[in-house]
Amino acid sequence: MSEPILIVQDLHKSFGEIKAVRGISLQVAQGELFGLLGPNGAGKTTTLSMLTGLLSPDRGRITMKGLDFRTHTNQLKARMGLVPQELALYPALSARQNLTFFGRIYGLKGRDLRRRVDEVLEMIGLTGRADDPVETYSGGMKRRVNIGAGLLHKPDILFLDEPTVGVDPQSRNAILESVEALNRAGVTVIYTTHYMEEAQRLCHRVAIVDEGQIIALDTPTALIRSLGGGLIVVGLADEAAETVTDRLRSLPAVQGVQRRDGKLHIRARHTQEALMGLLEVTNHLDLLITTLEILEPNLEAVFLNLTGRRLRE
Amino acid sequence: MIDQILALTWKDLKIFFKDRGGVALIFLQPFMFIVVMSYALGSMFEPGQDRIQLLAVNQDRGTQAATILAQLDDMEAFGVETTWEGQPLTVELAEKLIVEGKRNLALVFPPDFSDALEQDPAAVERHTTRVAAIVDPATSSQFVEPILGTLQGLIERTTYTAMVPKGLDYLFEWLAPQTPAGQREIFKAQAQEAISGGLLGGKEPVVTVERTVPAGMQVAKYPDSFQQNVPGYTIYGIFWIVSLLAGSVLQERREGTFRRLLAAPMQRAVMLTGKLLPYYLINLMQLAIMLGASHLLFGLSLGPSPAGLVAVSLAAAATATGLGVLVSALARTEAQVGGLTVLLLLTLSALGGCFVPRFIMPTWLQTIGLVTPHAWALDAYQDLLVRGYGLAQVLPKVGILVGFAALFFGIGVWRFRFDPVEG
Repeated sequence: MSEPILIVQDLHKSFGEIKAVRGISLQVAQGELFGLLGPNGAGKTTTLSMLTGLLSPDRGRITMKGLDFRTHTNQLKARMGLVPQELALYPALSARQNLTFFGRIYGLKGRDLRRRVDEVLEMIGLTGRADDPVETYSGGMKRRVNIGAGLLHKPDILFLDEPTVGVDPQSRNAILESVEALNRAGVTVIYTTHYMEEAQRLCHRVAIVDEGQIIALDTPTALIRSLGGGLIVVGLADEAAETVTDRLRSLPAVQGVQRRDGKLHIRARHTQEALMGLLEVTNHLDLLITTLEILEPNLEAVFLNLTGRRLRE
Repeated sequence: MIDQILALTWKDLKIFFKDRGGVALIFLQPFMFIVVMSYALGSMFEPGQDRIQLLAVNQDRGTQAATILAQLDDMEAFGVETTWEGQPLTVELAEKLIVEGKRNLALVFPPDFSDALEQDPAAVERHTTRVAAIVDPATSSQFVEPILGTLQGLIERTTYTAMVPKGLDYLFEWLAPQTPAGQREIFKAQAQEAISGGLLGGKEPVVTVERTVPAGMQVAKYPDSFQQNVPGYTIYGIFWIVSLLAGSVLQERREGTFRRLLAAPMQRAVMLTGKLLPYYLINLMQLAIMLGASHLLFGLSLGPSPAGLVAVSLAAAATATGLGVLVSALARTEAQVGGLTVLLLLTLSALGGCFVPRFIMPTWLQTIGLVTPHAWALDAYQDLLVRGYGLAQVLPKVGILVGFAALFFGIGVWRFRFDPVEG
């Protein structure tokens, strides 16, 4: 990994009795597209809020570009961009007026500001509608302006918080393409999502977050590879059958077996062979299968295997 | 920093002026109040504009009741009606008109009214009578009592005038019975003229009542209804900025624009200043438009002190914006903003005398009114517009308004949250 642009050490944040973030540590390399993947309420947005200075951590340290965030807050904020989950725009103003306003807030002015606004409008494909009020735009167009507003000052590191929520598939694809283009242009991107397809497609590395903690962190390929050929989730009528687990583990097609919430999670080297083995074992022991689910190897299956829950529960 | 404040200010002004309905409301609402209420209450301040109509049933066999009614009718404040739709008024008809709400008050002069006034002052048995005032019970005594007082005064004057001839006859018989009849008549005529207001041969009454003002006040023009209503409704109007400001803060919180701004390299104080400044400017614009338009359209006198006017306006606008910050900090939902704004603004405006002058309120309510910034702002404007005071004399009230503003800003900023989850 090249020089880290962002180092996060043991970050904690509580709201009253609720511990939203519990000891998150990670490093992001310069030019990396890093994903924070987890279900709603996992602590992704709270983590992002601390990384962008919206919230102060209760404990922990953030270092960006070698500088402590607490002591160089405004200096570092000037080099980062935030695209919040909400459409953080002024609906009565046009895209051009919104971008001009946010540009001025970041210190741009005069001809430089006008040129940069034109560039961003071009980049988000809204030059033709630049002077219409944002409230007249489609959801996808608003999302594009939302992203554009975070790019005006050419940040070194861009934080995108679930930027595709509530967007139609076509617009979502356009947004993902523009994120990829930005990253190719050298911008480091921290991308939070609960859509595993997006994390899988975009991210160089993914941290899977659950209940305020990182439960896995690696490249999507490595995370998926850890599942082997796929995941079989089976529910049996007799939960106490310990012998089933042992016999399944002994099958060559099975990589590992875990019992979670009354179900067996079977990581298969070869899904079809493992399934045949499962049926033989249950027949032999005269056990009734109540539920059966076969998941192809992906981040959704990784999350299910790690937590026993689905990303979108 | 300055550029960031200007960017924030310019942004909010742009948004404000794009909402034409909002602009119309904030400027037109108090203006319409001023126009409607000033014309509606015009007669309270300009006698003769709209006279109080009195029904009169005259059953008097003599002429004294007719004389009194003619004198009442000559007054600017009253109009006397002795007929209704061409028919002479009777007690029954007068009562019917009051029951139907067409009139509030009827005076009934009895048949022996003149007899009572013209009786011999030396008579052993006095002849008494009474004038009935039939009044709608819903009519306030503040309306009725001055009318009855005026009537009583006229009756007494007429009584003296009517009794003079017989009284003088009695005096002549008692003190100088040998006085010739011709001289007696001349003396009686002069005495009657004197009693009825023409003493010493002049046409002016001996004693007149003159309206004047306390030392130090310079009244260029006595207040008309605009002079009274413009400051009241202008103050009422500028405090509606609370609703605009709190609504805008709530919207920025809800839509996440505050979150985006918090991630920008900007101090929170700069953000707050930039957020409040446009609303302060809108307040000042409101004041300038209300007072300026009233001056140009209705001849409102702006008083002798432009500096005083500027000082009071700056302080009043700061107080209104400060209250906006306080409501923004306390209210978490649109319903709370709406409810709190209406509750605060209507209560404070009413207590502060924006709708009804405080001097007609009960004393305890007048005292409570002093805890509202509205009362002090209104009083300061009336000092300038009506009482003719200058800057030095209104400075204590400006100070109190600045105190209110500091209190509102202090609590508001302390409790202010840009983000719902801000810690």
